[in-house]
Amino acid sequence: MEEVTTPRERLERTVLAPVTGTSRWYYAWVAFLLMVIAWGVYAYSRQLHDGLIVTGMRDRISWGLYITTFVFFIGISHAGTLISAILRVSQARWRTPITRMAEFITVVALVCGAMFVVIDLGRPDRVLNVIIYGRWQSPIIWDVLAITTYLTASVAYLFLPMIPDLALFRDRLAGRVSGWRLRLYDLLSVRWRGTAAQWRYMGGAITTAMILIIPIAVSVHTVVSWIFAMTLREPWNSTIFGAFFVAGAIFSGVGTLIVVMAVLRKVYHLEEYITEKHFVYLGYLMAAFALIMIYGNISEYLTTGYKMEEGAEFHFRQLFLHQFAGFYWFYLIGGLVTPGLLILMPWTRNIRGIVVAAVLVVAAMWVERYFIVVAGFRVPLMPYEPSAYAPTWVELSVMAAGFALFALLITIFVKVFPILAVWEVAEDLEGPELAPEAGRLPFGAAPEPAGGGNR
Amino acid sequence: MKYVMKALLVSVVMGAAMFALAGTADATHATLKVVAPTNLTAGDSVDIQAVLHSAHGGEAVPGATITFFMDGSFGGVEGKVLLGQAVTDENGIAHLSYLPRTVGEHQVRVEYLTPGESEPEVATWSHDVSGAPHQFYQSTAGVQIPGLNSWVLMAVVGMVWAILLSVAARVIAIASAGSEAGAGAPASRSRATGDW
Repeated sequence: MEEVTTPRERLERTVLAPVTGTSRWYYAWVAFLLMVIAWGVYAYSRQLHDGLIVTGMRDRISWGLYITTFVFFIGISHAGTLISAILRVSQARWRTPITRMAEFITVVALVCGAMFVVIDLGRPDRVLNVIIYGRWQSPIIWDVLAITTYLTASVAYLFLPMIPDLALFRDRLAGRVSGWRLRLYDLLSVRWRGTAAQWRYMGGAITTAMILIIPIAVSVHTVVSWIFAMTLREPWNSTIFGAFFVAGAIFSGVGTLIVVMAVLRKVYHLEEYITEKHFVYLGYLMAAFALIMIYGNISEYLTTGYKMEEGAEFHFRQLFLHQFAGFYWFYLIGGLVTPGLLILMPWTRNIRGIVVAAVLVVAAMWVERYFIVVAGFRVPLMPYEPSAYAPTWVELSVMAAGFALFALLITIFVKVFPILAVWEVAEDLEGPELAPEAGRLPFGAAPEPAGGGNR
Repeated sequence: MKYVMKALLVSVVMGAAMFALAGTADATHATLKVVAPTNLTAGDSVDIQAVLHSAHGGEAVPGATITFFMDGSFGGVEGKVLLGQAVTDENGIAHLSYLPRTVGEHQVRVEYLTPGESEPEVATWSHDVSGAPHQFYQSTAGVQIPGLNSWVLMAVVGMVWAILLSVAARVIAIASAGSEAGAGAPASRSRATGDW
């Protein structure tokens, strides 16, 4: 066995290990995910064949699990923006081992989320109606614009810092992986040789992308909230929906990142790079956003509850006392208060406690999205009996397939691409002497040349 | 013969009684007619006049509520669509502003229910609507702020995509710089990544 001595060698070996070695568990996991996806595809084929009548959605409650899951995925896509862009802008050095994971969660979540809008349409060809009959004044158009722009910017933001690492893969994996992979690395590394000019161009591009992606990300979930808030329905008549959605998105995004981090850390032995410090820092972020969410809930429900119009009364009863009370109290207590306590209490402020808190947050935020969608539709617009909604096996299967696809894309990603931002982690490990770009740069400045013979 | 004459007399008396009764019923009714052009243009508003007169004497009936319907169908269900109601003036005329939206032959049904009656007086008005079909809904609500319109949104989106294109241009520049660096010397596999 090759003896590993320097931090850089250990880092390279750790990053290359998922690509070069595959265990039986990996195949079993992929097979399981593919089976779930296949079942979901079958369920979707039933929906395509028979129409949306196979779902629980009807005229009065016309959005259900699909739109809930869409909003949830768009929410967790904020993981990449917060962790990578905001922490990069603020030059928080501890971010480096987790930025790559955050960035690919963003891209994968956006792809999965957008898919659910098409599924919810029933007939996928009707997506074209948005283009053919779309109006600039419509929040749906704003949503399409915001999400496509965010996806493009996120792919760019994922790709740019990965270029030197792809070149590393191109150089180190020659003869160790299949030809198509080498060609892929060769293509995606865009002839990276680490020249001064290349570092300068890349630094400028990353700076531009990281500044641009923050307002885009905020706009995305704001616009998603406006699809609800600009519709005349009692529970959605809120002026803070945009801010509330953005806060909830970052909250659930951080939770998802913690869960993904914990899994990948365990599976790919990243303990040296992803330490308890990263979990605790992200936990603090999550606790801060738990407080913001609690404040948002109090602000929203105290003001509407104090006035208590007719529709609001119905909504309050279904949320706090009747149909949705059990899950809603889980959201408030289990999803907002308990995670905050787990993080703030010293004896649970460790990896296990924070991962438990993150799992609670992720589950609770999906539940919260469900209440916004389904409970909102359930409030009658006219004096008729409130409708009921129960998802069918088709919806449950398709939703399960969506989550399986999310997991599968992450699984494939870490199998093909660098799981850590190698050159950024190297900065921290080796210091400015060995990696001059590690020296903190003035805001907006390009990194110093660091690669190849031109340095 | 005597019985025949008696039967004839009874028949005449009963017939006269029935005629008299019918005339009394007619006096409680009213006559209703619609005055409006028959050729309309889609999107152009027109004034429909329903004229209500007493059937007995022909006097105008003021203060009566006239209801205007139109035949319609929605979601496979056919029925009367309420256009509106209007009250007759001193001349017995009720006015309703009508905006035809759909091209083709249509019929408006006007009803007036005489107090104490169960069956309404009905008049119909057939008309032909011509013109190209288009969106008739025009939002009038809201506050128009000069300069704040969809062009602002387009400008913002355009600017964002221009910045994204500049990022793409830098990726091309990275590739070009790599080509130039590699042109003079054979590509070294470790060159790019041996040092960061």
